[in-house]
Formats: sequence, structure tokens, C-alpha cells
Amino acid sequence: MRLLEFQAKKILSEYGIAVPKSILITSPEGLKQVSFPAVLKAQVPVGGRGKAGAVRTAKVADEGSSVAKELLSSAVKGYPVQALLAEERIDIQREIYLAYLIDKQINLPMVMASASGGVEIEEVAKKNPEWIIKRHIDPMIGVQDFMIRSLVKALGIDGVEGFRKLIHGMIALFHEKDATLVEINPLAVTPSGLVALDAKILLDDKAAYRHKDLMDALGEEQRRLDKRPRTRPEQLAEGTGIFYVPLDGEIGVIADGAGTGMLTLDLVHQFGGRPANFCEMGGQSNARTVEKSIEVILADPRVKILLIGLIGGITRMDEMAEGIVQYLKKADRRFPMVIRLCGTKADVGKAKLAEVGIEVFEDLTTAVRLAVERSKEL
Amino acid sequence: MAILINKGTQVLIQGITGRIGSFQTQIMKDYGTKIVAGVTPGKGGTEVHGIPVYDLVEEAVKKHRVDAVFCFVPAHLAKEAAFEVISSNIPFMVITAEGIPDLDMLAIVRFAFAKGAKVLGPDTPGLISPGKCKLGVHPHTMFTEGPVGVLSRSGSLSYEVCRVLTASGFGQSTVVGIGGGPIWGLSQQAILQMFQDDPETKAVVLLGEVGGTMEHEAAAFIEKQMTKPVIALIVGRLAPPGSQMGHAGAIVEGEEGKAESKISALEKAGAFIAKNSVEIPEILKRIGV
Repeated sequence: MRLLEFQAKKILSEYGIAVPKSILITSPEGLKQVSFPAVLKAQVPVGGRGKAGAVRTAKVADEGSSVAKELLSSAVKGYPVQALLAEERIDIQREIYLAYLIDKQINLPMVMASASGGVEIEEVAKKNPEWIIKRHIDPMIGVQDFMIRSLVKALGIDGVEGFRKLIHGMIALFHEKDATLVEINPLAVTPSGLVALDAKILLDDKAAYRHKDLMDALGEEQRRLDKRPRTRPEQLAEGTGIFYVPLDGEIGVIADGAGTGMLTLDLVHQFGGRPANFCEMGGQSNARTVEKSIEVILADPRVKILLIGLIGGITRMDEMAEGIVQYLKKADRRFPMVIRLCGTKADVGKAKLAEVGIEVFEDLTTAVRLAVERSKEL
Repeated sequence: MAILINKGTQVLIQGITGRIGSFQTQIMKDYGTKIVAGVTPGKGGTEVHGIPVYDLVEEAVKKHRVDAVFCFVPAHLAKEAAFEVISSNIPFMVITAEGIPDLDMLAIVRFAFAKGAKVLGPDTPGLISPGKCKLGVHPHTMFTEGPVGVLSRSGSLSYEVCRVLTASGFGQSTVVGIGGGPIWGLSQQAILQMFQDDPETKAVVLLGEVGGTMEHEAAAFIEKQMTKPVIALIVGRLAPPGSQMGHAGAIVEGEEGKAESKISALEKAGAFIAKNSVEIPEILKRIGV
């Protein structure tokens, strides 16, 4: 889960990390309690808000009011802005980049930092990789003071105390809340110490069961502020465990594995067709999952033909076929579909589908080629 | 020869009494895998398909030589299960569960490293050396014995490719699913090294996908260390940035996570690039494997 800025900053301050004083507002009237000059920041879960004009400074109340009105009626990268964080303006001496995450190349947590903060770290990595400082922290010994002093030196910060407190807070947050990223960018050096001007925190959804209250509350807050227009398939797929990613073609694709699903898309493309989506049913799929997946894909009005590719390992083809049959029983119309089915209990599955007059292919490329050809005739 | 497992490999099944654990144990046993023991807390003293069940791994290893473990324990209990296996000094385990928290997986990988144990997974069907040993949940009729080593992030993609290889007359030495990530035990590099050292493997098929930078590291390794031919297929060319394509690790974040970037790195490293599954046996034929 990617936290919104105000959610991330609330957690940072719980861990003793300084953030600017702020108020979350959902209408220009909320500005009454804000003193100016102030920074108004759109609360949307995307990067590059500054460039997108979604972070603005207002010197006086009138200006604040018109900027707030404008931002609250805009959308940033597809997200209609529903809330603004109104922050006090901070006296910045310089900006630093600081993050804590797992280095997956060697499976060790690390502090990643750069003395030149405020810009996107991907840009720094591309143009000046030598500006990025990495210090790995073996969980066996944890963060040691020499590491902190080394970072302080490399970043050119005056005094160790404030930075030490900050790093300890960041690392404690990461481990206690099951984060996968804690990023402070920029971290401002100010006359009164280090202040987190912006923050990005990713929490591990796989560990949500350990933080149920927190994750529920954060999720609820985000749903309230997320007014993105959702398509019917997206609504249907929500909370089902089915991975649904819309694309822009007309061949609806369903797969029982992530890798074969991606291969199927690539094949559709290579044979001159256009997939309408990626849809993977998840590891423990059964008859019900297939039925539901077909429902999701056919809710997309652009879909002209359905291509179902199944290769059973843990999934059983008799159950998969049963799901397709169940859908057809309920459906009010027949829909063009091409099915590839092989693997565990494929014979039973094939027989089941033959009973309802559906032909099944064993070879993936044959099925994809046929689906592409038919999609052009429809 | 094969890598990681062989005809003589003695296996312990963790979570042997569960629905899937019990079902898959039967299939592995029928395939010829030497399963010597099972473990489920509270079920010690019983049997599953004639295999003795113990409460604790330490009890099982007192009675049997255990070379490898297949762990069917669900994600939220996987950390402790893995710690138990590694604490008993068993050299190799497969973790099949999907959805293990990153910090749990990190702890497992770090502890395994400290104890010198190998961990395959998570989110993997396991591995199979056709005709010798199956430590996994693969639809094994699609696999056949032969000279091609296969490693894959995706289980289903490895089935698909091996089905095509088998149909074209190319058998496999060992097929290894490294898993869906985003934190991995054995990496592509580690498996590539094993295939390079395995006299039975004549060529290697690397099946990768979008997300992460693993294929870039594999490419660097191929360039420096591999003398055997490597054929690479990277799927997910159409993946839009930021979307999860099924696997936890399959999210394009930044340039390096894109399929094109991985393909060009692998090509530069001297790997043969296949655009799809069907091209793999064609390339193998062309290079005379």
C-alpha cells in the first residue's frame, strides 16, 4: 500500500521525525485555520507532483483560497484531487535525499542517501550515480553508530545527534510496520534541525494481517479520497484476488499463471492482435474464480472475443472447465471464445466442455493465432 | 547428474497432512521421489501414504537422512517453518507459499545464508529433474529427461516452455522455479552457475519477466561466467508501468524493470533471445544442441 503524503508524515512524526506543521483540508473553507505563507499540496498517490503543478505556495489568504479552489477541482495523473495538505513554509538551507529499503540484489536492508535531494532519485541514478550513497545494514548487528557517522560525513551534515535520531526512527518504522520503502525526499536542513518535507512510505500488503487496524484505517481513508473513475471490470475484480490490468485492445485474455499470462499477451501482439487486458486468476484458482474472471473480462464493452489459456499445475482442469460451463449456464448470450486447456485432469475438462459444444486447443500458439484471426473478422 | 536434486535425494515434506500437501505428496511419491518423512505439529506418530509423520523436524532427522525439504506451510507460518528446517542443518529447502511478508523472507534468507543452507522460492512450484526426482507440484507429463537446463521466475511459463521443448524432442536436465519474488532465496545467477557446472546440462533456458533488476545481474553473470549457450525469453513486453502482472515481483518500476531493457542486456551478454516459447526449440536446433 502506497501511503498518501499526510498519512506517511503522521507515521513519521509518531517515530519522532520532524515534519512541517500542517492541516488537511478538503475545501477552501478549511484554510481559515491556516497561517500564511503556506504550501498547498495535492494528496494524490503519484510521484512528480511538483512538476505537475500540484504543489503550490501561497503568500496570503486570498491567494491561498484561489489556489485551493483550483487544485481541488483539478486532477493529477488521473486522480481527481480531493484533499490538500496545507503546510507552514519552512526555511530551507539545503535538501537531502534519504531512504531505507531492502537491496534485493544482495538481500540486505540499506540506507540510500544523496546530498542532492529534492529531485527524483531515478534521475540522479542515471546522470550522477556517484552521488548516491548506499550503506547496507546487516540485521544481525543492526544500525551501528559508525554507520551513522559515516553517513553524516558523506552527506556533509553538521552534528550527528539529529541525524542519529532520524535514522533510528526510520529503521524502527520500517521494521515495526512492515514497510517496503521509507523515503524522505527532500529532507530539509533548516536552522532548527532536519525536517521531512515530503515522504513516501510503502507498506507490505503481504503483512497486512499483522497490522490489521492500521491498514484498515489507512485503506478506508484512501478509498474516501480516491474518486478515480473506475471501469466496470475494475469494480468487479476488486477484492477477488484476481489480477486485472486493462490494456487497449479487443481480445480479452484470462490465464491461470502470471508467466503464461504475460506470454499470451506477447503472442497476441506478435500475431498482430491487440489484447484488451491482462488477467491472472491467482495461485489457488477454482471453478468459481474462472466464472468470476469471465464476468470481469466480459464487462469490458471493448472485448470482442475471449481467449482463455489454462495450463494446470496446482490448478485442476476439471474445475476450470466446470467454471466455464457454469458461466455459460448463467449467460444470456453466447460469446466468441477460444480456449486452450492442458495439464492436470485435462481429459475430464475437455470432455466437460465438449458436452456444451466448446472446442478446446492443447497448443497455446494455435489458440492465440485463432483468437487473433477471429478478432479481426468480428 | 542434475542440479540440486537427484535420484538418491531423500525428502521431507513439511505440512504433509494438509489437503494440498497430502495430494501433492502422493503424486511426488508416485513419480519416484524418495520421500522419507513428513512433519505436521500435533500429527506425530501417524502416517500419510505410508510415510511416517513427526511433530518436529528434529525428530525426523534423527530417524532419517534428509537432503531436502518441500514446505507446504502457508505464508503466515512460513518463517518459523523455514527456521525449523534450517536449524536442523538440512542443506536445501523449497518454499512454495505465495504472499510471505518481505521481512519474513529476508529473515529466512539471512538465516539460511548464515547456516550455509539453500532456499528456493518463495512462490514457486519447486524443481524437477525429469525421470529422477520431482520436488514440486509440476504437471510432470509435460517434462522429459534430456540436456536442457531451465530456470524460471514463473511456474506456469516453465510448464509451457517444457511442454514445447518435450514436443520438439528436447528433454530437460533440471527445471528450477526460482519463484515470483520480490525477495528470492536462490537467484538466477546461482542457478546459472549450477547449470554451468553440471556435466549433463548442455544448454540453459532462462525464463524471465518484467520487474526488478535480476535479469540484468544474470546478464552480467552470463557474460563473465557462462560458456554454455543461454537462451532467454523475457515475457511482459506489454506490461504498463506500475501494474502488478500477477507476481509480487512483476511490477515495472523504472527503466531497468522493463522487458526491453532486460532483453537488450541479455543480448549484449551473448544470450540468444527468443520472442516466444516456440522459438526456443528452433534456436536450440540452430545452435546444434
